[in-house]
Amino acid sequence: MADQPVTLAQRTADFRALPPHSGPIMALQFITRILDKTGAPNRGKTIDHVSAGDPTTAITGIATMALASMEGLKRAAAAGRNLILSYDPPFWSGNDDLDRIEGNSLFLEKRDFIRAHNLVCFNLHDHWRDRAPDGVAVGMAKALGWTQYQADAGNPAMLHLPPTSLESLARDLQSQLDDPTIRVVGDPKLEVRSVGAMWGTADQMPAIKLLNSAVDVVITGYAREWEAVEYAQDMIANGQKKGLILLGEVASVDLGMKYCAEWISSFITEVPIEFIGSGKAYWSVG
Amino acid sequence: MEDRFSRRSVLSGTAALLAAGPALAQKSTLTAGEVLSRMRGQIGTEWREGGVDRIIAGSADMPVRGIATTMMATFDALKAAAAQNLNLIITHEPTYWSHQDRLDQLQDDPLYQRKLRYIQDHQLIVYHFHDHWHAKQPVDGINYGMARKMGWTSYRDAATPRLYRIPPATLGDLMRAFQAKLKDRTLRAVGDPALPVSKVMTSWGNCSSFPGIPFLDGEADILVIGEAQDWDLISYAQDLVAAGRKKGLIVLGHVLSEQWGMDFCADWLKGFVKEVPVRFLPLIEPYWNPARPVFEINTKI
Repeated sequence: MADQPVTLAQRTADFRALPPHSGPIMALQFITRILDKTGAPNRGKTIDHVSAGDPTTAITGIATMALASMEGLKRAAAAGRNLILSYDPPFWSGNDDLDRIEGNSLFLEKRDFIRAHNLVCFNLHDHWRDRAPDGVAVGMAKALGWTQYQADAGNPAMLHLPPTSLESLARDLQSQLDDPTIRVVGDPKLEVRSVGAMWGTADQMPAIKLLNSAVDVVITGYAREWEAVEYAQDMIANGQKKGLILLGEVASVDLGMKYCAEWISSFITEVPIEFIGSGKAYWSVG
Repeated sequence: MEDRFSRRSVLSGTAALLAAGPALAQKSTLTAGEVLSRMRGQIGTEWREGGVDRIIAGSADMPVRGIATTMMATFDALKAAAAQNLNLIITHEPTYWSHQDRLDQLQDDPLYQRKLRYIQDHQLIVYHFHDHWHAKQPVDGINYGMARKMGWTSYRDAATPRLYRIPPATLGDLMRAFQAKLKDRTLRAVGDPALPVSKVMTSWGNCSSFPGIPFLDGEADILVIGEAQDWDLISYAQDLVAAGRKKGLIVLGHVLSEQWGMDFCADWLKGFVKEVPVRFLPLIEPYWNPARPVFEINTKI
């Protein structure tokens, strides 16, 4: 004997109004909200993905960082921030290629640390850069006090600074970014007004194009010595007034990821969010 | 291989030329192609096509007035060579700003056109000599030249030519030794300056995660390289140290980490090219840091 059919209206009436969601929110839910909020179009191929951890993990806090280094992960775990959003990934390759490190003892140790502390690592690289305006460029300009010097409102990577010299600019960057291993190509006395920033890594052709534009100096994290570094040296040897500053990858995006934490705090309120330093890789000798 | 000279034919050819007297030697019509043929005969390994080694500018039939070996055919290096009347440039690294010296996107580039015109105006021939100099037998030419510069040739491990067993030192000591010997202002290190070091693995020039990770995981205390990407090998070394492993990494800069290998290349060439002068042209360090601001690039054309 079939039951009397229940109408949708009757069924809905049987439910009490749901209380606001107060239970745990899993990593994937936060990640989806953050990616949506960037408004960045999906690239056909992106390195933004969960590179370690279980995406259904309940999240107690969010940490943004430049590089998902062991030091950064330990600090995040100690602070109870178990969703890690990093510009550069944990397993030492641009695309987290694990093929050749499966049996590597440091890989196993880092992976086990991530598991033991319920961490979820997400690469937040392409979406943060593709956001309009570029999240790293906004954050770096903000942190350096350069927002007012933007050449045009839509492009925080092109700056018209108060006149300075290449040496003074390098000193300012070194102290403001706490960057002991900054490296510079060009005449220390070069007059600088116009700066083009390629935070992160400067690939060959984009760097060549920017060096040829109306900028005095290009600032980047890393450029290959046999590509943009050679090109900048050759421009200078050709009598052109140009400079190139290499900050190191982490120093060149760190404060862009700090801004990322502030930005996420503007729309995620359920868990604490903070920027955590990745630690400095290098030192040098005086 | 048809263009491969045997050692005997090279030597007998040279002897015949020298026997003809200094007048003929000075009026030599030595061509770039002849020099390259002798190099193929002397390298001690099979000559392979398909790498980056080739004539980048000029042609094989051009006469050679003198030979310059250098680490990278920067504009500065070309000017120095032309000033010394050395018109065959044997360079380890590229001329046109990419490993393959790709020009497809640079045809309209003003600096490409300017550099090319300079090369043509001074009848320079630029030869990219990368793969075969590394493949040289019995020892990689760069590896040998760098060891020679550091005074390490007697420390080389017999089974692993990249490995050196040096007198005990610390990572900090080695940093200062490299800084002094290579005149390196901007070298960088990962790891504890007090780390004891007696085994050094070397990967002069660029070093990717592979082979860099196995090198760091091997028996050596430290790895010395020229250049690596911050998000791969450098971050691996940083994590290795953070995880408590007794390891270190020294990053010298690409040019400074290899260029004395091209000093050795000049000596090697002198052994079988007697007709014209052969000189190594050292390059400046590309960078400075705020502690040592300097300007060394020659801006005059």
